Amino acid sequence: MTAEELQETIARQFGRSLHIRTLDTGSCAVCEQEIRLLAAPHYDLQRLGFFFTPAPRHADLLLVTGPMIRAFEVAARKTYDAMPGPKIVVATGACALGGVYPADPFTHGTVDAVLPVDVWIPGCPPSPLALLQGLGVAVGRLAGKVRDLPFTVDDDPERTRGDS
Amino acid sequence: MTPLDFLYAAAAAWITAALVGVLAARTAGGLLACCAVSALGGVAAAAGGGWSLVYGDTPVVSPGGATVVGGPLQLQATSLAGVFTALLGVVAVAIAWYAPRYHTPSGGTALYVAAYNVALLGCLAVLTAGGMVTFLVAWETMSLACYLLILRHPRAFPVARGAFWFLALSEAGFLLVVAAFVILSAKTGYTTLAGISAHSELVPGGWRAAAYLLALTGFGFKAGLVPLHVWLPEAHPVAPADGSAFLSGVVVKMGVYGIALFAFRLAPPAGAWPGLVTMGGGAVTAAIGILYAMAERDIKKFLAYSTIENTGIIVTAFGAAMIFHASGQRALWAFLLIAGIYHVANHGCYKTLLFLEAGVTEHATGTRDMDRLGGLVHRLPRSAVIAFVGTLGIAALPPLNGFVSEWLIFQGLFQGFRTGSHLTGILIVLAAGILGLTGGLAVYAFVRGFGIPYLGMPRTRQAAAASDDGQPAGGPALLAVACVALAVGAPVVLYALGKAARTVTGVTLGPLLLPGNLTVIPAHTDFAAFSPTYLAVFLTCALAVPLLIYLAGRPRAGSASVPVWDGGIVSFKPRMQYSAMTFSAPTRVTFNALYRPSISVSRPSDDDPAGRSGPVHYEAQVTPAFQRYLYRPLVRCLEWLADLVRPMQSGDVNLYLLYVFAVILLAYLLGAV
Amino acid sequence: MTLWFIRGLRRGVVTTRYPARPDPSARFLPTPPAFRPRALTRETAGRLAATCPSGALRLDDLTLVYDVGRCTACGRCAAEAPAAVQSSGEFELAATVRSELIKRIPLRETS
Repeated sequence: MTAEELQETIARQFGRSLHIRTLDTGSCAVCEQEIRLLAAPHYDLQRLGFFFTPAPRHADLLLVTGPMIRAFEVAARKTYDAMPGPKIVVATGACALGGVYPADPFTHGTVDAVLPVDVWIPGCPPSPLALLQGLGVAVGRLAGKVRDLPFTVDDDPERTRGDS
Repeated sequence: MTPLDFLYAAAAAWITAALVGVLAARTAGGLLACCAVSALGGVAAAAGGGWSLVYGDTPVVSPGGATVVGGPLQLQATSLAGVFTALLGVVAVAIAWYAPRYHTPSGGTALYVAAYNVALLGCLAVLTAGGMVTFLVAWETMSLACYLLILRHPRAFPVARGAFWFLALSEAGFLLVVAAFVILSAKTGYTTLAGISAHSELVPGGWRAAAYLLALTGFGFKAGLVPLHVWLPEAHPVAPADGSAFLSGVVVKMGVYGIALFAFRLAPPAGAWPGLVTMGGGAVTAAIGILYAMAERDIKKFLAYSTIENTGIIVTAFGAAMIFHASGQRALWAFLLIAGIYHVANHGCYKTLLFLEAGVTEHATGTRDMDRLGGLVHRLPRSAVIAFVGTLGIAALPPLNGFVSEWLIFQGLFQGFRTGSHLTGILIVLAAGILGLTGGLAVYAFVRGFGIPYLGMPRTRQAAAASDDGQPAGGPALLAVACVALAVGAPVVLYALGKAARTVTGVTLGPLLLPGNLTVIPAHTDFAAFSPTYLAVFLTCALAVPLLIYLAGRPRAGSASVPVWDGGIVSFKPRMQYSAMTFSAPTRVTFNALYRPSISVSRPSDDDPAGRSGPVHYEAQVTPAFQRYLYRPLVRCLEWLADLVRPMQSGDVNLYLLYVFAVILLAYLLGAV
Repeated sequence: MTLWFIRGLRRGVVTTRYPARPDPSARFLPTPPAFRPRALTRETAGRLAATCPSGALRLDDLTLVYDVGRCTACGRCAAEAPAAVQSSGEFELAATVRSELIKRIPLRETS
């Protein structure tokens, strides 16, 4: 199956109905608070067809936060293995993407060391809007923007407002 | 040729086996020979018992004019005793198959197997006793032989205590049984059981009731009615496994046979109230038996309390039968007799099986404590399968035999509305409700009794090291086959029991019981119907449905095989599992008033001024209510009376001469009057 | 129940229309920084790389390697060199390939 066919399959299967299982691999739980806000009336992810489920057997997408501490590795692997395919892994938060904690005897530092990650959502914590965009990218409803963002500002330094 | 001939053969075989045992069972070959002869006797007894169900009562014979202590030896093979004899035979074969691998040949074993065969002989004699004296002598022989059985390892204190309780309560019961027989034979003038039964109208109503109550209590000691049951949980754990199996499977049934004898054959009491007393006692026994079973960690004590529960069920059936007889419902009278006796046969099979398996477990792991076992299904696979069949039977799950006999009993009880009186109808339904409670608790208890030792992970190293090699399996397997046969062959069994009931009660249930197409109908066609055979076939076929669904619906795409989702636990520790006591905790909390546990908790922080924590010690003991509140006061009362009388035996010769003088004076005065 | 219903009707729908329409509250979100290459001398870049507590900035030859994924939007780099750093205002940062989040900011050439 080519990449396009895979994208198409994922969009067809998950585009309108996706079950998300969250996994905390040692985070400070602020990412979890933002994730929990997704179910609140203001953001309401259920209007988009996304649902939370506690059982990995019922889940399509694994939303991972935290720097993947080594003590959690077995449980993370078991959770991932328990999900039936096709499945998507989304790593979110600066910790999960390799920031804040380097690899040391207690943590891997990045989720990628243990699970194969499909979508990365930066933020500390990622706001619910960023999470919604990330989930939309994961199921192919939205296009990713960050590849084309340069993160540079090209105006004259003398003409910028020099705020300290 | 009558069934009695088979029983003679069985008796001869068992006498031979006892002699072979005491002389030769020090060696393995001798033990094997003794067990082989014993098994032959068992086969003869089973054949004779089965035949006598359909043959009817043989005449009373006095073979060779022999006499036992105090009177002639009178034998008669009756259909009422038929099931009990057949059960005796089957249990004897199973235990004989089991014993050579279980016991190590030695002097103690030689005496043990000799005593066991004497006990078998005693039981057979009780069942074929045609006369009062024969019955009583056989009863005592059986009791004393069983006492020796329990005392296989006499050096340990619990063994001596268990054997003592057995003997003491046995003798107390014996006294009451003698009194009951004496009343009946004095009033009718006959000492043969057939004679008493034929002339029972000579016994006035009050004496009948007295004799029946004495018999109920006396035989209740042996059968295990509450509060007379105290010896069962003391004696069963300490006896060897096949001894406990024999006690629970056969000896307790002798008590039930005695109750059935006085309730149905010898002078049955008039009026509904003896039946109500019996039924009420049976229901209470069943409930209390299973409730105490829930609080036990020792497998054999647990099974002993379960025996008490099943005795309660059988006696409830008999009591309800008596009530129906008193209100003129003859069909239900015969039907509940059949149901009760069927339950006797079933319980004999699966309880013996479970005790034998408990013996295998004890030998393989070195412990009887459920909380030290676990995971035995992988280490003792043969035993696990056989024990599972027994567990399904005793938990009364379809399609096995426990379900069939309990269904029959319940259907009989549900027809309580056919007695004319509202009060008896309500009381019968109440008894049915209590039996329903015990049925549910029995399932719960046996899920625990099978699940904790056999399933899950081993809780100790001994359990992990258990092995099936060299463990006996033939005897229990035979009983498992018997359980299945009793269930699937229920129509055959009920036909035979129907014939036996006709001999005892004079009521022909045949056409009402089995209308020809393998279906059972509880005495009246307008009430219920059920076919054990069809149910067994149906359930077996139903197992094929998930298989077919799997074969048809298997995904064709590639699939990965991953472990079961367990919440992501890194490694399971055995202590994460249920223990036997935590599994039964809901029942123990609900029925706290019955158990009245004495709980002691000690924490290290209690003594430590700094309040540091550490392991907490928790101990809970179920109060032995009957020993403490019934037997100990009685014993103290007797001791007080003995203290009162003690001054008479002062040891002073002059006082004794005064006694002699006083008695002579009294005799002279009385003679002169 | 009725009061709740009426209050709700008066308040109207509070659910955001994102992602179909932009969300007005997105203006206030803390976001990763954007850099002004003309203000990024080598020395400034070194100071910024040392200040970043989460390892998002690294000085590499002639570029500042900026890992957007590791940024926690703490603002220390903006406080250190306000002329070179300002908030990017971008919060839609999901990437399917990790390297899409690693930006190489060219430093100002100093002769």
